[in-house]
Amino acid sequence: MNTNQAATTSRRSLFARLSATVTGAALLAACGGDAEPAKAPAAPPIAAKAEPTKAPAAVPTTSAAAAPTTAPAPASSGAVAITGAFDGEAKTLTGAGATFPAALYSKYFNEYNKLTKVEVNYQSIGSGGGIKAISDQTADFGATDSPMTDAQLKEAKGGEILHIPMALGAVVATYNIPGLETTKLRFTGETLAGIFLGTITKWNDPKIAADNAGVKLPTEDIVSVHRSDGSGTSFVFTDYLSSVSAEWKAKVGASTTVNWPGGVGGKGNEGVAGEVKQTPFSIGYVELIYAVQNKLGVGLIKNKVGQFVEPNLAGVTAAATAAAGKVAPDLRVSIVDQDGATTYPISSFTWILAYKQMTDAAKATALTRLLWWGTHEAQKFNGDLGYAPLPAEIVSKGEAMIKSITGAGKPAFPGK
Amino acid sequence: MADTGTLPYKASPVSPLAPDRRYLARKFHGRFMAGLITVAALVGVSVLWLILGYVIVRGAPAINLDFFTQRPLPYGEVGGGIAPSITGTLLILAVAALIGVPVGLGCGIYLAEYGRGSVVEVIRFCSDLVAGVPSIVVGVFVWALLVRHVVGNFSGIAGAVSLAIIMIPIIVRTVEAVLLLVPYTLREAALALGVPKWRVVISVVLPSAKAGIITGLVLAIARAGGETAPLLLTTLGNQFFSWNLLEPIGAIPIQLYNYAVAPYPDWHTKAWGAALVLISVIGVLSTLARVATWGQSR
Repeated sequence: MNTNQAATTSRRSLFARLSATVTGAALLAACGGDAEPAKAPAAPPIAAKAEPTKAPAAVPTTSAAAAPTTAPAPASSGAVAITGAFDGEAKTLTGAGATFPAALYSKYFNEYNKLTKVEVNYQSIGSGGGIKAISDQTADFGATDSPMTDAQLKEAKGGEILHIPMALGAVVATYNIPGLETTKLRFTGETLAGIFLGTITKWNDPKIAADNAGVKLPTEDIVSVHRSDGSGTSFVFTDYLSSVSAEWKAKVGASTTVNWPGGVGGKGNEGVAGEVKQTPFSIGYVELIYAVQNKLGVGLIKNKVGQFVEPNLAGVTAAATAAAGKVAPDLRVSIVDQDGATTYPISSFTWILAYKQMTDAAKATALTRLLWWGTHEAQKFNGDLGYAPLPAEIVSKGEAMIKSITGAGKPAFPGK
Repeated sequence: MADTGTLPYKASPVSPLAPDRRYLARKFHGRFMAGLITVAALVGVSVLWLILGYVIVRGAPAINLDFFTQRPLPYGEVGGGIAPSITGTLLILAVAALIGVPVGLGCGIYLAEYGRGSVVEVIRFCSDLVAGVPSIVVGVFVWALLVRHVVGNFSGIAGAVSLAIIMIPIIVRTVEAVLLLVPYTLREAALALGVPKWRVVISVVLPSAKAGIITGLVLAIARAGGETAPLLLTTLGNQFFSWNLLEPIGAIPIQLYNYAVAPYPDWHTKAWGAALVLISVIGVLSTLARVATWGQSR
């Protein structure tokens, strides 16, 4: 009897203590939850000339940071503007995909949360991952820098997928040559293809020297650095090389996962930028913003009309404008190597992928409103973060797409 | 036989008690090896302190109230915190423990108390195999099963299941080992009093091994808490607060990874801060477990 009692007590105490531990954890969790912030502190965006955030009176925030509220919305959207929360829309959305626009989207979605209280969770897992996620319907929307192929579109579980352009970006050739840190080297598509094919192996190769008269090029071997992971950036770069070099097109081609003839790999834009930074006499390709932020040398690229153009947002916008007239109706379009004197040739759209027929009406409404806001009001954030805003022709094509999205059979966009 | 003029051995010229050269060599050898072992012990411990110290030095500047109460800010902006990741990690770990602890505990008890013959060997072998599976493979498995099919999207529950799968073999082996350490005489004494076997296990064996079991559970939870790869594939991460297990949820390791690969120095500091918080969360869990077993036998 005694033994039994003692044992029972002891057992109880075990469970009591175990449950105390669990309760403790739950309490900790609950404390975190109580502290859920309605505000985001005022933090200076990257560029100093950021506009004050537009925070309409319809959305009260507890943050003093959002106080300056008078900047008007850009008028390009006409009468339709997203000004606050909307009854009946989903309060959370999940997106996954490209790393290239991640900086931009995190800015968009943070501002959009202040405006509408909708929480848009975007995780940058790569363009390939974004295409997979939307195809499998494991996320509400995907994001990619390389348009889906016809085969990929056929595999999508939920029917027709729309490509809605959100921004424009540039892929730049970035290099590290001791002694030439401040010199802007000039490259043609052929020399870049030669370098990455391995047919041009020395920095003082006559083909490079021909474009860089007056520059004392070193005799060192070139180390080419490329992306080791599946990447929209790789697609844009190889898409460009394929369009300017028949040899590249025949031997390698355009792809997110490239069968590189040589060179060393780095994971992500970060990895390539880091590799170039650490390796003397190396050359790689990254999205513009990464070269700027890592203070790397950036090459001038010869465009279709023979001008050497520095990568900047004006050059990217010029590429999009040049291509705007001839884009396919589904907006899956490559804008590398476009006409125009100021056109930067290695430019690209970045898209959000969404289903045309969505089953969840509340999510469809939330997503269409987000896309509308993203392609209109939010475009003002692009410049500061290293992305070019969309040209008006593309915005209007995007509008038609957004309006065509249905939720549970009914048009999803409420028009405000 | 009577010849006593020759001894069977040659007498040593010195006393057998006197220190000889070989004795000195042995003594030196012993000291030397003891020294090596001491150095090894110091290195082993100092690695822990080096890691901890470095994480504290690099992470401390990131620690402030906002870090624990705010959600992450957009790229390149200074400020914000990792609060949704902290709550997310605690929630996912709690759910993972709810799934993993009963299964692991039950399996461990079965192996130690009930299992007989080849069944035990098979279970033990399978459990070891699962323990040896790289966590990323567990992540891919759960992604293929739960994310793509059963749940249909990236979700906290998928992350909890993958962490539970990682926890179970650790719990099984520690629980089994600890239960086998309980003297068999205790069980015999209880059985002799007419106590049924299930009662012996619950009332005698488990309480005797309590401290060891809880240590094993904490080890398993701590191991799962630091996993990144399976969470990237299953819970995806979330920069907003989320309590819905059917939706993506943030987690400290994912946030740490996101901060670490970004090109902003402020975010790198935050990554160290997140590492410090992760270590602290696990430290707090271990301390709770120690306190829970304070003063208990064994």
